[in-house]
Amino acid sequence: MNLFGILEINSSAMRAERARAEVVAANLANAETTRSAQGGPYRRQRVAFRAKRVGRFQTALEGASAIHARGVRVSRVAADPAPPVRRFDPSHPDADAQGYVNFPAINPVEEMVDLMGSARAYQLNVAAAQATKAMIVQSLDLLR
Amino acid sequence: MSWMQTKLIDLASRAMDLAALRHTLVSSNLANVDTPGYRTRDVDFEGEMRRATEGLSLGEPRVQQVRGLVERPDGNNVSLDREGLSLADTQLRYRLSAQLLRVEFRRLLAAINEGR
Repeated sequence: MNLFGILEINSSAMRAERARAEVVAANLANAETTRSAQGGPYRRQRVAFRAKRVGRFQTALEGASAIHARGVRVSRVAADPAPPVRRFDPSHPDADAQGYVNFPAINPVEEMVDLMGSARAYQLNVAAAQATKAMIVQSLDLLR
Repeated sequence: MSWMQTKLIDLASRAMDLAALRHTLVSSNLANVDTPGYRTRDVDFEGEMRRATEGLSLGEPRVQQVRGLVERPDGNNVSLDREGLSLADTQLRYRLSAQLLRVEFRRLLAAINEGR
C-alpha cells in the first residue's frame, strides 16, 4: 500500500460519515410524518458501521501496511424497532377510530447529538486526509 | 554498501516507511472511530527504529492492539485525542526524514559535481 492508498481509507470514512448525516437529516425531516409507503408512521433509521479492508490486492507484495489498513463502510441502514408515539388529535387526517395519531418515535435532541458526532468525525477524517496529502507532497519534493 | 547507499539514507528511508505504516494505522483508527467492536492498533515507532539500528529487525514491523485505553459500551476503544496527537507526531517524523533525505541527496550531488 502506498500513500495514495491511505487516501482511500480517509475518503471511505468521509463517505460513511456523510451517509450517517444524510440519515439523520432524513429522520429530522420526517419527525412528524404520519404516513409512509410501508403504511403507518415513518420509522426512524439508524446506520451501522463496519470496518473493511482497502486496497485491491491482499498479497504479501504490498507489505505490512496493506494488511493493517482498515477503511469503514455503512454495513446497513436499519429501522429503529421502537413503537410509534401515540398522541390524541381527533382532527388529524391520520387519526384512528379512538382519535389517536401514531407519530414516529424521533427525539430531535438525540438526532442533533448524532449529527454533531458525525460532523466531528468527518472533520477529523478531513484532517487526516490533509496530513496524507502533505506527506505525498513531501515525498514528491524528494524528486525535485 | 556502495557510496550511494549511505547510512543516513538507509535510516531515513526506513523511518519514512515506518511513519507511512503508522499513518495507515492512525488513518484506520480515525476512520473507525464509530465502528462497534473496533480496537485501536499502533506500531511502536521508536522501538522499531531501535531494532533497525541495532540490526535486529527481521522483516515486517509489529502492529499491535493498544492496551489500557478506555473502552466504550459498544466495544470500540478509539481515543480521538490520542489519534490526533499520533497524526501530528507521525507527520512531523515523516517530514523530518524526508528533509534529511533531501539534504543527504544534495550532499551526494555536491560530491558528484566536485563541490560546485
